[in-house]
Amino acid sequence: MLFRKNRKRFHEQIQLNTQQEITGQKGLLSSDLDENLHVFHSIYQDCMDVVFRTFLIGGQTRAVLIFIEGLSNLEEVDDNVLAPLASETEGKVRPRELLEKKIHISKMKEVKTVTECIEYISVGFPVLLVEQEMVGLALGLCKWEKRSIEEPQAESVVRGPREGFVEALHVNTSLLRRKIKSPDLKMKSRKIGRYTDTHVVIAYMKGLADQTLIEEVENRLQRIDIDSVLESGYIEELIEDNPYSPFPQLINTERPDVAAANLLEGRVVILVDGTPFVLIAPISFFSLLQSPEDYYQRFLISSAIRLLRFVFMLMSLLLPSLYVAVLTYHQEMVPTALLISMFSSRETVPFPALVEALMMEITFEALREAGVRLPKQVGAAVSIVGALIVGQAAVQAGLVSAPMVIFVAITGVSSFMVPHYTQGIALRMLRFPIMLLAGSLGLLGIMLGVILIVVHLCGLRSFGEPYLSPIAPMKKNELKDSLIRAPWWGMNKRPHLTGEYNPYRQAPGQKPNPGKGDES
Amino acid sequence: MIEKGKISAFQMGVMMYPGILATAILTVPSITATYAKQDLWIAPIWACPIGLLIVLVFLQLHKHFPGKNIIQYSENILGRLIGKTLGIYYLFFFLHNSGFVIREYAEFIITSVLPKTPIVLVIVGMTLVSAFAVKGGVEVIARSALVFLPLFMFPLLLMGLMVLPEMEPRNMLPVMGNGIKPSLKGAFFPIEWYGDFIYMSFLLPFLKDEKGGKWGMISVMAITLTMVITNLTTIFVFGGSTTELLYPVMNVFRYISLADFFEHVESIVIAVWITGMFVKFSLIYYALVLGVAQWLNVSDYKSFVLPIGFLQVIFSIWVAPNFQQMGQFFTTAGSFYFPSIQIILPLFLLFVALIKKKYKDKSPKSSIVQ
Repeated sequence: MLFRKNRKRFHEQIQLNTQQEITGQKGLLSSDLDENLHVFHSIYQDCMDVVFRTFLIGGQTRAVLIFIEGLSNLEEVDDNVLAPLASETEGKVRPRELLEKKIHISKMKEVKTVTECIEYISVGFPVLLVEQEMVGLALGLCKWEKRSIEEPQAESVVRGPREGFVEALHVNTSLLRRKIKSPDLKMKSRKIGRYTDTHVVIAYMKGLADQTLIEEVENRLQRIDIDSVLESGYIEELIEDNPYSPFPQLINTERPDVAAANLLEGRVVILVDGTPFVLIAPISFFSLLQSPEDYYQRFLISSAIRLLRFVFMLMSLLLPSLYVAVLTYHQEMVPTALLISMFSSRETVPFPALVEALMMEITFEALREAGVRLPKQVGAAVSIVGALIVGQAAVQAGLVSAPMVIFVAITGVSSFMVPHYTQGIALRMLRFPIMLLAGSLGLLGIMLGVILIVVHLCGLRSFGEPYLSPIAPMKKNELKDSLIRAPWWGMNKRPHLTGEYNPYRQAPGQKPNPGKGDES
Repeated sequence: MIEKGKISAFQMGVMMYPGILATAILTVPSITATYAKQDLWIAPIWACPIGLLIVLVFLQLHKHFPGKNIIQYSENILGRLIGKTLGIYYLFFFLHNSGFVIREYAEFIITSVLPKTPIVLVIVGMTLVSAFAVKGGVEVIARSALVFLPLFMFPLLLMGLMVLPEMEPRNMLPVMGNGIKPSLKGAFFPIEWYGDFIYMSFLLPFLKDEKGGKWGMISVMAITLTMVITNLTTIFVFGGSTTELLYPVMNVFRYISLADFFEHVESIVIAVWITGMFVKFSLIYYALVLGVAQWLNVSDYKSFVLPIGFLQVIFSIWVAPNFQQMGQFFTTAGSFYFPSIQIILPLFLLFVALIKKKYKDKSPKSSIVQ
């Protein structure tokens, strides 16, 4: 019942909105300037940031410039529009020709309807309306405050480009275009959000990305009818394959180089205005374990680090549960000397291993979360509390055992080894149910939990692409870039998932062999 | 079609490997050893041709009835009434068999790692996890089998290396000291397990490629090889006392000791063995659920998953009052029960199908002559 009621209300709302559009904004501009002004005044009633600047062209023809304060470049407007037009002294010239002669702006659009006018005004284009003209002019003089390009905070590298996406969409597209100069890089734009009217751009490489994939992405974006899009997370949740999965089915990144590399492997990048995080689809489980730096460092080292990352990813999921299971059910697995020292440190601890582990892990998660949200000034306080009280004092007080603190610390560190925060957090959350299973069924419980996760991952898809490829289903060629990273001269083929009809990314046989190749 | 997923022949082979071995490495060596003694390792080699024969029979049946499994083509071959009867007979057999499989697993877990846990809990846990996979369909089971294969396989293949210091190769002498007979007698028990290749019949219709035969054969070979390796290791380590152990292969792992630190790894081995067990049980579970849906001509099998899982739990309790009686069944009635249903009946089906085909091929000609 509740749903039905909501739906009814929702439909009423739609009718309301559309009605408003028809009466108020869909109309054409009139030739009477006063009538136009009246319309705009009523639309922008109580909007103190909208400026109506009335002036005379050449001292005769009335004109008005509408813009929003702070979105338009006022100096440019003064120098290139107001000054030349107002100082015009020629007699009876048709204003239209005059405008074309006098205003020197590279980006200028003719607008005919009120809706169009509003659209341009709200992105920062000053709109010029002239007496006796049915057509207004939107002048491309927008300029709003934006952050300069900085190093991405969430994904830092030792070696690699230091630039990151910013909040302004056109800066982000230009960053991509600077990396990929080919005109095959296509960007399609659409607007999502009833109130925010946010620009969303789908970028892909023509000829590399699968056509059906692009259509699928467009269809899913088409379906979205939401009142606002303030971050790409809104979009992500609305176009996922399995909304209940804890695992992310799209990567987000702040790095143009990551976005470009994924475009070149035939994936689709979705850029959203107002956020530095762009979305990449489709992905697999293993692309979440890849850091951009893997491709910039020497391949042997990258491969070793990837394997290390994989091992620690498993540890971040399983280590506390293994500790609980071993201490509760499988003491014989631990060598005797170690077991004795472990149990002697647990002697004073009043809790069973499971409670101890849960307590410590939850505390750790709280410390981590507090650390993220913390104002910088109180940062020291939390680290003192975290390190001294939880680490040292709790052990001395006999509330937790020292080995437990070690394991929690290792788990915490290993969960940050996963390069993508969204996946790291998914694994961190999953370790709690596994801990409970370990406390009740030991290693069997852990295995049942792991099997459940693997089965879930096996059934998961990201835009139709199996999440565990290339391991399951097995694709031999792509194993080169999953758990290890093959050298560049060894990866002649693009990943199968998208590079269907352009499989080769480079000429074969580029392995350097100085002194052997040229006999001259 | 009920199932939309497609798997590759390689995936099928990967599923069959733990599909046989998961329970075969538990009790089979011990039972085989009672008859074969030190020729324990030869028994799988005798059984291997039978395994190949089963694969061949199902391949032939698949060729004659592409896109169908044993529940469906038994109807085509024997007519509606007898075919349906045979179908439900098979379904009951699968239910019975899955009861045995999960009971073996549960008894093993209870005796080796969780002695105080109620057995139903262990059974229900595995059934629920498998139900989740079966709901996902054949693709999900195949992919998880791929993920778990290395985990399951490496301990078995490497165990020989790990217990090298404990081995006494003289234990295997004299080879065929009492003639060929003991090892042949022992071969009966691996054959019981090779019969599980019947579940291949449910996978063959979903293959993307035509390499089903190749990977089926490779799977049989790999299983035989693994059995020979594990049996040899068992004989080398335990010699004549193999018969007295319930789970000789798992006991071998207790002897692993590397650098005085890497000891008592059998818990880990059991943990990874559970993944193989999961694949085997999901495979049988899936075949059973799919078979029931097809037998009833229902278009969706997913609603059967939980009820049949419940039945399996009950059957796993009913199949035997205790582990000793179950072992007794395997060594006596079982060695005729399993092969007769899993080998003789399909052979009979193939025979009838071939005769029918011959008759059909001839009959149009004769009608033309007339």
